[in-house]
Amino acid sequence: MIELKDITKSFQNGKIQTDVLKGVTFSVQKGEFVAIMGSSGNGKTTLMNIMGCMMQASGGSYTVEGVDIKTLDDDELSEFRNKKIGFVFQSFNLLAGTSALDNVLLPLVYAPEYPDDATERAERLLASVGLEDRIHYKPGELSGGQHQRVAIARALINDPAIILADEPTGNLDSDSLKEIMGILQKLHEQGKTIILITHDQNIAAYAGRTVFLRDGKIYEGAK
Amino acid sequence: MKVIKIIAESSKSTLKHKLRTVLIELAILVGIATLTVVVSLTQGANKRIMKRIANFGSDAIMVHSGGGKMHGPSTVQQANLTRKDIADIRNIAGVRFTTPIQVELDMPLKYGNQFTTAWVMGVEANWQDAWRRGAARGAFISDADNEQLSRVCDIGTTTAKELFGKMNPLGENILIRNVSFKVIGILEKRGQSPAGTDFDNLILIPFSTASRRLMNQPLYTSMLRVIIANPAQARQIAGTISGILRENHRLAATEEDDFRISTAEQVAKMIKSTSKTLGLFLWLIAVISPLVGGIVLMNIMLMAVSERKHEIGLRRALGAKKKHIIFQFLTESVILTFSGGIFGVGVGVLIALLIRHLGKPISISWQPFAIAFVISVLIGLLFGVYPAKKAANLDPVEALNQ
Ligand SMILES: Nc1ncnc2c1ncn2[C@@H]1O[C@H](COP(=O)(O)OP(=O)(O)OP(=O)(O)O)[C@@H](O)[C@H]1O
Ligand SMILES: [Mg+2]
Repeated sequence: MIELKDITKSFQNGKIQTDVLKGVTFSVQKGEFVAIMGSSGNGKTTLMNIMGCMMQASGGSYTVEGVDIKTLDDDELSEFRNKKIGFVFQSFNLLAGTSALDNVLLPLVYAPEYPDDATERAERLLASVGLEDRIHYKPGELSGGQHQRVAIARALINDPAIILADEPTGNLDSDSLKEIMGILQKLHEQGKTIILITHDQNIAAYAGRTVFLRDGKIYEGAK
Repeated sequence: MKVIKIIAESSKSTLKHKLRTVLIELAILVGIATLTVVVSLTQGANKRIMKRIANFGSDAIMVHSGGGKMHGPSTVQQANLTRKDIADIRNIAGVRFTTPIQVELDMPLKYGNQFTTAWVMGVEANWQDAWRRGAARGAFISDADNEQLSRVCDIGTTTAKELFGKMNPLGENILIRNVSFKVIGILEKRGQSPAGTDFDNLILIPFSTASRRLMNQPLYTSMLRVIIANPAQARQIAGTISGILRENHRLAATEEDDFRISTAEQVAKMIKSTSKTLGLFLWLIAVISPLVGGIVLMNIMLMAVSERKHEIGLRRALGAKKKHIIFQFLTESVILTFSGGIFGVGVGVLIALLIRHLGKPISISWQPFAIAFVISVLIGLLFGVYPAKKAANLDPVEALNQ
């Protein structure tokens, strides 16, 4: 379903060019739960930004469900993110001063059609992550783990093809970590495709498959 | 539907960032309030000018004794219009009738122990038709009064108030420069003359009494009011009158006129030229101050964009297109300027009412509301578009990492 072939990414900073990704090739099947591991600063987030259509690769090809991402313009990329990608960020990224419900509904503002049952759907999703009694709480009134649960509900509101989670537990204590990973595992069991980025072996263990990012390339299985 | 959702996002955002909202609204408020006051002032002034011009009468031509460029009435001391002049003018084709006026300014008046001064005019009975103004109460000076050199008068409301207070002046005797006159009528109220003087501080007496008894000018008349059949002919008839008077007064080609002729058109021009400079200056302020409001808006919105990079990046990540971001920020700007504009009109109208209370002519109509509506929306669009574009063109990844 997801195919990356020879993906490269370089950043130009003045005269200095940093080659972060140097030919990433790997694929993810529908319904897989893949962990991408790698040490800090070696390009995991960059790879995720490319897979999430937040930036274009410098070279190589990236196709999702047969669509070559290179051929999409800015508006089409936005629409693609909206429909196909559910982001879960390390720093949660909820809108401050906005209720859990409205945060979950936010992607629907930019959806081509605003569904009639949007609110019920959001409430159902919040309930499924255990926040049925926090629906109208604002981020300031929620704990870190609850933040991330709202963010997961938000990632699911458009029923995306892929969940991209970039160190989703990086800012959480170990109890919340277990809860969040449990939720992701459950989503996997329900058939969601999940790509999880982490540098923690124990977290990667939740995934069905682990790949390693090293020196700008992906290595399967072994460390 | 999406439009409504984004507008909802915009309005939530204006409620969330209260300080910013208040600052922008204040800036726009000042601009729109200024504009409202100036519009009201200008309309008030225009209305007064129109009234003054209407008071002059579009079918009237005034002939004044004495040349020069001064405005206002000619007094009996300058009088040089002869009986032949008046007869010749009356015979011009297109002239319906004429009425002579003998004028002396600021004559001393006395009733009991009350003293004041007023313009005293000697008039004939057809003065009523010439000015479309008669006695509101009592009688007007009649032809018989003129034939008999009666010592009767009609007095204006301002003069009546000065001399009689709340008393009824009808039938009372007043002294005009120590000559006793009986008050037979109160003149209809009229307001201001084209020159801006009070048309109600006035005493009318019979023309003959004025000429022979009070002002000692039996030969010449100081002013003549000419009523014509067709207002469109005013300029042409004024030219004919000028020709007749130059010939009758035997003026050589090199000599200046020893009379002045004014038509409604000239009066309007004269009034407008004196009120223009103030208007221009006020309008300059009125135009600049909303623009200043717009610049404040742009600055604060630019600050908001850099403060809210993270939010913008997040919205982009969740699927917002550039145009959605532009629309959101532009809508925020317009909501702020529009609400600022509404408050601005409110404050402007209050100030206008205050100014009216202080006695300045102010007209409050629907126009300031319409202008404020349009201008405040325009300012929001004009000055909001740059910050909105800047927000939309942020790199989503960089913005999100802020
Ligand atoms: N916009 C950019 N301009 C220049 N260099 C960049 C840019 N973004 C990332 N980099 C560089 O690319 C490299 C990889 O960054 P990236 O954020 O992808 O790493 P990471 O694996 O996610 O690290 P971490 O585990 O700390 O999150 C880093 O050296 C970083 O400095
Ligand atoms: Mg990272």
